Amino acid sequence: MTAGGPVLFSLERVTVRRGGALVLDRVTCQIPGGACTAVTGPSGAGKTTLLRLLNRLEEPDVGRVCLEGRALPDLDVLALRRRVALVAQAPVLLTSRVLDELRAGRPDLTEEQAAALLDRVSLPAQMLTRSTAGLSGGEAQRLCLARALAARPEVLLLDEPTSALDATSAHAVEQVATSFVGAGGSVVLVSHDSGQTGRIAGHLLVLRAGQLTSTAPVQPTTSSREDR
Amino acid sequence: MNPAVPTWEGVVASLALVALAVAIAWRQRLHLAREITVAAARAGIQLVAVGAVLLLVFQHAGLAGAAGWLTVMVVIAGQVAARRARGLPAALPVATTAVAAATAATMGTLLVLGVISPQPRVVIPVGGMVVSGAMVAAAVTLTRLRDEAATARPAIEARLCLGLPAAQAFAPHLHTALRTALIPAIDSTKTVGLISLPGAMTGLILAGVSPLTAIRYQIVVMWMLLAAAALAALTAARLAGRALFDDAHRLRPLPAATATPTGNGRKSPCLELSRDQAEGLSYPRRVLARARSYGHRR
Repeated sequence: MTAGGPVLFSLERVTVRRGGALVLDRVTCQIPGGACTAVTGPSGAGKTTLLRLLNRLEEPDVGRVCLEGRALPDLDVLALRRRVALVAQAPVLLTSRVLDELRAGRPDLTEEQAAALLDRVSLPAQMLTRSTAGLSGGEAQRLCLARALAARPEVLLLDEPTSALDATSAHAVEQVATSFVGAGGSVVLVSHDSGQTGRIAGHLLVLRAGQLTSTAPVQPTTSSREDR
Repeated sequence: MNPAVPTWEGVVASLALVALAVAIAWRQRLHLAREITVAAARAGIQLVAVGAVLLLVFQHAGLAGAAGWLTVMVVIAGQVAARRARGLPAALPVATTAVAAATAATMGTLLVLGVISPQPRVVIPVGGMVVSGAMVAAAVTLTRLRDEAATARPAIEARLCLGLPAAQAFAPHLHTALRTALIPAIDSTKTVGLISLPGAMTGLILAGVSPLTAIRYQIVVMWMLLAAAALAALTAARLAGRALFDDAHRLRPLPAATATPTGNGRKSPCLELSRDQAEGLSYPRRVLARARSYGHRR
């Protein structure tokens, strides 16, 4: 195995077609647990599709995806999605108030827990009572990340989470990813930013036109110990 | 002979009005003269044919014939509503089931409670109104659901990603569709008699019935149309809500024509849309206008 722990996800000859076009072509790879794995490649290479396969928002036409050795269709899909949280590239807010947003996937979240979540993504706790309508793109993206963390996932799937963010927001998101891995979690990150993958990823998958062209360890992930 | 009903000579004489419309179209160079002529001819021929068949049903086929007539109307209404919602998975069975369920429940209630008489000459026209109201509600619901599923895919998938089941992830959009579908029926119920004299009441008055008697029928008609619209919209929404998702709680792909015009429809910035939906503000004017125009047509 490469950087990180034992195999978390394994893809076996995974092929995805969409409208006759080949999006992923017989991709076989392993994604380690307890590490940050970056998926890179040019636009249209199939990076987002690969990410969506990991929480069954997409299904392979051929091949299979396994989590810790078990094929995903054998797992309860709702439990899988709580365990493997996906944060999309464009922030999508679902409610009109920040506290409600954090409770979208976990209704029993207390205000203290919600404030702690905001702190993890470098947002002020006073924001809890604010409307989501006035948030900037960076704040909205970090709120989406906090909303995903509220469900206490074991794996974070991040689809280009900093592509539209300013440096401060991007740094905050990177810190969350790093501390999440440091606390024993796993991150799969789609990114175009080679500097970012170098900073936070321990393992690299490179896709090109739907094919996996290389897979390699990058460097040990530096992490700070924080509760996941 | 009821003096309020025109004679055949009168019907022929009223062709002068069609000629007037054709003359206007011709003078204004609207290129609609031929279409107006064909529409007028079609209306005449269709109504003569329907009148003849209704006469046969009333005289010979009895209640079974009326039920058969209603079944044909339900099938046609299902097809019309499904065509409006083209692109929605299983649109035809969903629309037909919604119209059939609403018609059966509404007509069944009216007949069981003895509100209307179990005669073909009553069941067919009343049933026709119920089928028509149910069809409009089903069509608006399904069209709206399809549009919501296509444009709000990122918000729906964001909820699915939190581990919410499909029904819960789609619930806000389903409620929006239901509200939109019921607006025409509620509006026409609120304004009945104020903006226009409704069809059933007008027909009875023309046939010589006292206005105070005619309104009794119209009150029942308005209330039954509310029920038919609510039942059809709810059935259509529930069935379509299921058809939109697969067993793995994934939103099925929708045709490109109805989806967000940004690549795979997942990466479009949808922040504002989602906020609007969260606050119940997301009734696109186009759909509302369409919904209201349905109400006016009835």
